[in-house]
Amino acid sequence: MTATIRIVGVHKRYGARRVLEDVSLEVGQGKRLGLIGPAASGKSVLCKLVCGLEAPDRGTVEVLGQPIVGKREVELGDLRRRIGMLFQNYALFDFLTVEQNVAFPLEQRGGMTAEEIAVRVAERLRAVGLAGSEHKLTGELSGGMKKRVGIARATVADAELVIYDEPSAGLDPVTTQKIYDLLAADQVRTGASVLAVSSDVVALAKFVDEIAFLYRGQIVYRGPAATIADAESALVRQFVRGELEGPLDQGPAKTADDGPTRSPESRR
Amino acid sequence: MIGEKTIANIGGGAVSIAQHVGGIVVLTGQVLRALIPPRIDGRELVKNLHKMGNRSVPIVALTALFAGGLMMLQSGPFVKKLGATGLAGWAAGYAVLREIGPILIALMFSGRVGANNTAELSTMTVTEQLDGLRALAIDPVKFLVVPRVIAMMVMLVALTVIGDLVALVGATVVGSALLEIDASTMYHSFADNLKPYDFLHGISKSVAFGAAIAMSSCYFGVTVRGGAVGVGRAVNAAVVAAAVSIMLLDFFITYLAG
Repeated sequence: MTATIRIVGVHKRYGARRVLEDVSLEVGQGKRLGLIGPAASGKSVLCKLVCGLEAPDRGTVEVLGQPIVGKREVELGDLRRRIGMLFQNYALFDFLTVEQNVAFPLEQRGGMTAEEIAVRVAERLRAVGLAGSEHKLTGELSGGMKKRVGIARATVADAELVIYDEPSAGLDPVTTQKIYDLLAADQVRTGASVLAVSSDVVALAKFVDEIAFLYRGQIVYRGPAATIADAESALVRQFVRGELEGPLDQGPAKTADDGPTRSPESRR
Repeated sequence: MIGEKTIANIGGGAVSIAQHVGGIVVLTGQVLRALIPPRIDGRELVKNLHKMGNRSVPIVALTALFAGGLMMLQSGPFVKKLGATGLAGWAAGYAVLREIGPILIALMFSGRVGANNTAELSTMTVTEQLDGLRALAIDPVKFLVVPRVIAMMVMLVALTVIGDLVALVGATVVGSALLEIDASTMYHSFADNLKPYDFLHGISKSVAFGAAIAMSSCYFGVTVRGGAVGVGRAVNAAVVAAAVSIMLLDFFITYLAG
């Protein structure tokens, strides 16, 4: 099977703080992979590595069949046009209205008339429940509304790979379910590969095929989404069930002086 | 005796300044490279020209009016005492066109437009909007920095021209209202003694000041780290860097051009 994302032996650190350590991960073509893990475990950094917004210190990253490590910004342009990304903090352009934000990827990509773009943008905004908010500036929106604008922007161009960083953060349970239904329908329609990061494991598990658990910069588990709550790993079970007692250590991230990271299970 | 800590602080400060200067040089290179071929987002450019230029006219005009008047107040009594009222306009005009006009307007522009530009860009940086642009295969330097640099350079020159004219009017008003030097004497003093070179000398300074304000404000905006506190620090650093650059450039341009 062709892999849309292939990450091999990636290391990333910021100063003395080690964020990713020897991470390897694959997402097959047309597959949906969920990524979970405690706060500051490196999930968002991994998403940015895939989009080429961050460069690894070591290791290789291949996206849509192209190696991206060491490439210049200008060389990543064509690849990035094939990727849709929802940022954790929305990353909406505050100098544009809601409608202009969603239309932006299509306008920059070219090949569509203004009318075609307007129709596509209106359809996306209806789908995320924001019809009527077209002319608002992003500063006038609530966090949940911003998240939905971000989803509309990430999906408007029918990208081959879509990365969702916390698609349900700030949304109520009903809207969360609606959004995941929309994302699933979109994925079926376009056949895109999906990498989704979320803290809402229950909702995420209904959307993705598999879930990987990132803990202290390492992928310590990967398995079917449907059975994640009963995973063999005690670490994953504790995280998914939200139990206070267990091997999960939510302390500060490792520094370079701490030696190699080992999961609590591997220490036993 | 200078302690180790003092030496370390001085060294650290020097390294930090060198890093910032290097960063500004690199960004300047990126801006120049983005201009070949010159494809600039017209909407962004027009928006910035209006915001940075048109809206600065009242404050620049007010500053220039009083600066011109002040030059007249300082020089007027002496030329009157010496009976050389025909040189009153020249004294005020020479100082305004070559020195006071460009430098005061640049400092005003830095405080109003440069600081605002740094605040805007740094807020966009900390809210990941620059990453958002990159994710959409748009170069933030080409899309955001280049139009701002061009707008600041063009508009500072335009504002300096307006400011020079208003300052000469201010000098004339003060000369006739407070020092009893009539307007026609002032006009002839300007026309007979001031040369086009005096005006161009000031304008060449404003081109350099515009570049310095634009590059420092954009550099500190796109390299900010650390949320709202970082935005404050970036604005502060940009204003200080612009002011120091203006003084240094003014000295060297005056020294070299005479």
